[in-house]
Amino acid sequence: MTKLITRRDFIRGSAGVVLGAAIGFSAEPVKKSRVVLIRNPEALDANSHFNAEVIQEMLDKAVMALLDKSTPQKAFQTLVKAGEVVGIKSNVWSYLPTPAELEQALKRRIVEAGVKEEDIGIDDHGVRENPIFKKATSLFNVRPIRTHYLSGMSGCLKNYIMFAPSQQALHPNSCADLGSCYKLPMVKGKTRLNILCCLTPQFHGRGPHHFSRRYVWNYCGILVGKDPVAVDAVGLELIKAKRRQVLGKARELPPVPKHIQVADTKHGIGTSDLNKIELIKLGWDQDILI
Amino acid sequence: MKKNLLLLIICVLIYSCGGNVKDIYQALPDQVLDWKAEAEDVVYDRETLYDYMNGGAEVYLAFDFQQVFVRKFKRTGEDEIILDIYDMGSPAEAFGVFSCDREDEGAGIGQDSEYGFGLLRFWKGRYFVSVIAAGDDQAAKPAIFELGKSVAGLLGPKGEKPEMLKLLPDKGLLKDRISFFHSNVNLNNRFFIASDNILNLDRSTDCAFAEYEEKGQEPVILMIVRYPDKAAADKANASFRLGYMPEAKDTGLAEMENRLWTMVKQKENIVAIIFEAPDTARAQELFLEIHFE
Repeated sequence: MTKLITRRDFIRGSAGVVLGAAIGFSAEPVKKSRVVLIRNPEALDANSHFNAEVIQEMLDKAVMALLDKSTPQKAFQTLVKAGEVVGIKSNVWSYLPTPAELEQALKRRIVEAGVKEEDIGIDDHGVRENPIFKKATSLFNVRPIRTHYLSGMSGCLKNYIMFAPSQQALHPNSCADLGSCYKLPMVKGKTRLNILCCLTPQFHGRGPHHFSRRYVWNYCGILVGKDPVAVDAVGLELIKAKRRQVLGKARELPPVPKHIQVADTKHGIGTSDLNKIELIKLGWDQDILI
Repeated sequence: MKKNLLLLIICVLIYSCGGNVKDIYQALPDQVLDWKAEAEDVVYDRETLYDYMNGGAEVYLAFDFQQVFVRKFKRTGEDEIILDIYDMGSPAEAFGVFSCDREDEGAGIGQDSEYGFGLLRFWKGRYFVSVIAAGDDQAAKPAIFELGKSVAGLLGPKGEKPEMLKLLPDKGLLKDRISFFHSNVNLNNRFFIASDNILNLDRSTDCAFAEYEEKGQEPVILMIVRYPDKAAADKANASFRLGYMPEAKDTGLAEMENRLWTMVKQKENIVAIIFEAPDTARAQELFLEIHFE
């Protein structure tokens, strides 16, 4: 169970502690929960269009750092092998979908690792019926970070809700049990990499579709990790920091991202404790926020 | 004869709350400036709303949402304007869903409205309407306003705001910050109190949420919750005290860590909570000004 968090925890500045996240990230490397944040201001051009070349380079560097490998090819060869069937779980939300440039950068490296192109599927809403996902031996989770009316934050954990037989069944209690999706037969033990796209995060939402361009900013970053809970825990720190900066301390936490902590403490699929996460930061550090 | 009279009464009632749904949909424009309706119109109801909204469905289902009509307009390229007309069942519920999410300047459309960054929201009668641009919102703005005005003209007569708002004290009330809702999901997105539903809010509860101007500081918050009966109010009152201000014990008053005061008081089936009061006197004063009679 999660401890009750109230408005008073924010006034005291203790909400992070209550959520299970302590003051800062661990300086000690803990391989199990390494997360890499890479940023490059050139990932978006002057018109906010994505730069495919830069995004490929960012993904490569991040995965190399995550896995301690000298080339992206070597890094991806530790994730997938020739003959595998691979599902890339993307996100098609019309206002802020996973950038095609990021999907393709990922697919390119999976192909180079020896997986046939026809054995790679990219899907979102159709994953449960997609023949490639049905026989997938490996999954890659890639989606943009944003806030969400119910779960507080849509990150890697939330992205797997499409694998669940009933999405509605996961909505109660602020979607607290989203972590259970990682234990579904179609998913369990198959996820090789979690990529949280922070190129243009959304830190607050409005209206029926929970979208307003006002609350999207060019952060030009990508978070990568093998542990989806750790990736989301770091992502939440980013959202909180931006909300604190723009909306004020009292609105720091999007209500209410319990599922990240619950994925750790109840479902045991990763760590939400920032003390147990090694965050490696690469590239551009201006306005990095975390 | 009796049957026909009943049918007539039902029709009159439906119209008086905001027009006939089918007539409204059929009268909607297919083109607004150089934006044309594309693809099939879609209607979602309480069962299918999840197919349309990612997570936001709960926000609407927490009200008496009946159905939403969706029409998409396109021009060149990927830009899109999405029109949603929500039948909220009654004017009070339409006002409610509009009132929970206000940030922008009024747009002068419907009974109350706002526009900002490509999103137009307004309500009229039992309808709440959203028009949003996906893409270049500056380019879409004239069409968004044109479409909004055109839709507002089809929605029939105006409706009454929730009767419960009459409880709110008038002095210092920030009128464009009033919200009406029922459930915890709406409260948390309006004003985060706790990660759990410590006030036991659900569709059977009515909440009036208001902000009061306070010289030299942030507004004082007044939240009035009406429960179905006194027993439910007693339970919620106790739950709130325990979860939010255990030190208050029987007084219902506690100083928060920011040196501002929170007060909770109950009258029959109504629980009133005052947040961010500069002192206990201001909290008491605001409570006494509630129009219980």
